[in-house]
Amino acid sequence: MRSRPSLRLRFPGRWVAAAMLCLATCALPQASQQSNRSQPRTDHVAAARKIGNQQVHASPVSFADVTRAAGIDFSLTCGGPEKRYIMESMCGGIAVFDYDNDGWMDIFLVNGSTLEDLKAGKCHLGKLYRNNHDGTFTDVSAKSGINHCGWGFGAAVGDYDNDGWEDIYITYLDGAVLYHNNHDGTFTDVTAKAGVGNLGRWGTSAAFGDYDNDGNLDLYVANYVDLDLDHLPELGQGPFCQYRGIPVSCGPRGLKGGRDRLYHNNGDGTFTDVSEKLNIDPNAYYGLGVLWLDYDLDGCLDLYVADDSSPSMLYHGDCKGGFTEVGVQAGVAYSADGREQAGMGIDSADYDNDGWPDIAKANFSDDSNNLYHNDHKGEFTDLAGPANFGPVSIPFLGFGLKFLDFDNDGGKDIFVANGHVNPQVDQHSFGVTYAERPLLFHNLNNGKFEEIGMAAGTPLARRYVARGAATADFFNDGSEDLLVSVLDGPPLLLRNQAKKGHWLRVKTIGAASNHDGFGTRVQIKAGGLTQTAEVRANSSFESASDPRLHFGLGAATRADSIAIHWPSGKTDTLGPESADQELVIQEGQGVLARHAHVPAPSKPAQSRQHLTHRTP
Amino acid sequence: MLQNLHADWGKRHLLYGLLAIACVFGASAQSQNRQLETLIENGQSDLDAGDFGGAVASFERATQMAPDNLEANRGLLLSYLQAKRLRDAENAGQSAIARWPQDAPLQHWLGLVYFKQGQNAKALERLRSAEGLDGTRFDIHFDVALVLLSENQYAAAAEELEKAIRFDPNTAMAHVLLGRCYQNTNRTVQAIEQFQAALRLDRNIPLGHYHLGFAYASLGHNPEAIAEYKKEVTHSPDNPSVLYQLGHCLLEAGEWKSAAAHLKRAVESDPQNSDASYDLGKALLLEGDAEAALPALRHASELKPADPSAHYQLARALGKMGRKEEAQQEFQTFAVLKKTQPVAGGMAAGPTQ
Repeated sequence: MRSRPSLRLRFPGRWVAAAMLCLATCALPQASQQSNRSQPRTDHVAAARKIGNQQVHASPVSFADVTRAAGIDFSLTCGGPEKRYIMESMCGGIAVFDYDNDGWMDIFLVNGSTLEDLKAGKCHLGKLYRNNHDGTFTDVSAKSGINHCGWGFGAAVGDYDNDGWEDIYITYLDGAVLYHNNHDGTFTDVTAKAGVGNLGRWGTSAAFGDYDNDGNLDLYVANYVDLDLDHLPELGQGPFCQYRGIPVSCGPRGLKGGRDRLYHNNGDGTFTDVSEKLNIDPNAYYGLGVLWLDYDLDGCLDLYVADDSSPSMLYHGDCKGGFTEVGVQAGVAYSADGREQAGMGIDSADYDNDGWPDIAKANFSDDSNNLYHNDHKGEFTDLAGPANFGPVSIPFLGFGLKFLDFDNDGGKDIFVANGHVNPQVDQHSFGVTYAERPLLFHNLNNGKFEEIGMAAGTPLARRYVARGAATADFFNDGSEDLLVSVLDGPPLLLRNQAKKGHWLRVKTIGAASNHDGFGTRVQIKAGGLTQTAEVRANSSFESASDPRLHFGLGAATRADSIAIHWPSGKTDTLGPESADQELVIQEGQGVLARHAHVPAPSKPAQSRQHLTHRTP
Repeated sequence: MLQNLHADWGKRHLLYGLLAIACVFGASAQSQNRQLETLIENGQSDLDAGDFGGAVASFERATQMAPDNLEANRGLLLSYLQAKRLRDAENAGQSAIARWPQDAPLQHWLGLVYFKQGQNAKALERLRSAEGLDGTRFDIHFDVALVLLSENQYAAAAEELEKAIRFDPNTAMAHVLLGRCYQNTNRTVQAIEQFQAALRLDRNIPLGHYHLGFAYASLGHNPEAIAEYKKEVTHSPDNPSVLYQLGHCLLEAGEWKSAAAHLKRAVESDPQNSDASYDLGKALLLEGDAEAALPALRHASELKPADPSAHYQLARALGKMGRKEEAQQEFQTFAVLKKTQPVAGGMAAGPTQ
């Protein structure tokens, strides 16, 4: 028999095709084997970056990293590089405030520690930087008296004693410290006297707000996990110490949650812990983000708390000093499908200019960030998808989140600081990376956003393990800038260099209301657009921002009218007012001062001019 | 001389006789060879024509005629496999491999017999042997990948498909499968490249646009995902999975009316698809038609009674209709069901790969 040089017998393609079709239809990608609502989709940052690159287009927006040039030499310490324990991933508090009342935003950066140094009593102090009015800052930490030795996390700012000077509250792994501003560049630890020590608890974000409208700022502290430093759960040693099958730091699931605290300001320099009385956080969820807002415009502050791996809470203030938790009914406790999320940073703004405050929340990776649109009837609808805010965020693990109007077009944009919690992901081919680029969402003023981070200047295209985020006009030039904390490294001071429209800034000074005017709702009409914003300092993740309200006016050169609805119930109406200036408005007194915009700030004393003082 | 002549004649006669015998036997052998060759060719033709019974008959006769013929044994194994006579195929394969242990096709096809029997470990053992004997064959790497895919070993399957594609880059299905492997190992950009390559080779490849759409959606690129799903719908207009994913993406994108239309078709095609029913209810609710949303959401909750999500949406729908008490009841059901759910999401609690 002759040999067959080429074997004809082969496995026919027909069977293969059938098998393929079966596999193709029966074994869809893992994420789709589950329902779309049961689990977030898996994905990765590198992929998003590459795809994102393909979509980059020219943008008028640009941010410059001026950290070094500004003299910010801080480096955040937060545990070891492995992040073996949960607290090593959660540092990064930022406080932007005008501590010396010179009209320029100063900076305090909270520092963490390491387990070894904490036990050894070695301090890693935060740093206070005074704004020199010329684009630089001076480290004034040594003189400041802010010197508590601990493992710091978040910062809240507010004038709790209504003396006209901003005070600062800092949360630590064990307790918290309230520093009273002495009006001379120094601070005094008044924690014990004030009774806001949050003793034995690990606080993250905190926020001042006057929930009972008595003119005094109360204080909410989000507590995360009750940790026993002598018995810390070891990396990878337990069912909640895994991420996609690899050993990582444990928690928060499996760890005992820390019950949040609400301190009522007694008006005499002391506070009363009313957490139990008002049934605050009875389930001791893992608190990470705090936001005071008046979501139903009833004149009383409500409270939104972002919790990790558990429902977020919305406390509706009853104007009598009480709260009802309505998060589930209002639609802001869960994802749009009723699933717990890992809420981190939160902020509120009226992004669609319908007069009602909306809420944005940053979440864990493989999940969508939320954009809760206020439906005006005490309910919200998560429109993150339709607004192009959610899907883009899926690969990113968000922490700090802030609304801002970086191009002054009258539509609130959104910045999200991202960074994973497990450095171990870099050793695997998940595609998820530890450092991630921030996201910048440009408001298209039609209910939708466009993510332009890759196009908004080089610093935003780079990757960081970012945490806290704050907004401020650090240079008083009519642009909202960004300050971002970065784990185990220097922060990012990002100067907004965008070509932008006209603007108006409003600084509130309460009289019957709290001195900061926190909770004041300001409505301005300009260029046919009505914008509404609420005064607050504390939002985002562990951060406090510039409390002055910034309105982008676009092409409008004046605001036709300004209505200021104070927490006391009073309303001041002003206008018209020219654009491109800051108005200092006192409750019942109208405009106290106007500060003009000087385009090229270079010398401290010349960069700002008091134009007029008037008494209405 | 005579004696010599006689002797010569005798020798010659003997020689002739032997030659004649040899000729007879030779002719017989030649005839047998031709017959064997015919049987093998017939068997191959039957295989190609899909007449697997005919192929079995041909190869059974061939192996009876020539039990030591490698090709006949290969054909017998293959025809049993195709005829789904898996037990016979297994026996034939084992017997043949005992004789030709270094034959890659025998190892390959016996591996496939085991794969069809669901004995994946044995299948992999044989297929790996085949791979060791001949590492240049597209189909062997491809079939190893198939087994690994059925075991959800996406990373290993990807390696095999990468090898397969090196030897034959023009098989669209290999690119689709490699894309799926990449998708399931969080390499979505590479997945997209593979799906695109598959579609360049065969724009009608089953579910090619579907998989590409899914990859885009997982990156949060909804417009691209929607475009791909719409293309897939033109190929598979009644595929409920395709309709559901398209509807889901439209829902995410805020195109609620269009979403509802596609989701309605998905539900009609597959009334047991609770996710489609759920999304339909959600789309109608977001569109402002809470009353129409109710039956879809109720249907979803009936199909998945332990799933709290439908009750969450039901509560919201009832609330919008002003039926506060019923809404509260649904919220309570939601809360109860939530407690029975496994933990998911959050810090360090991401889905296990």
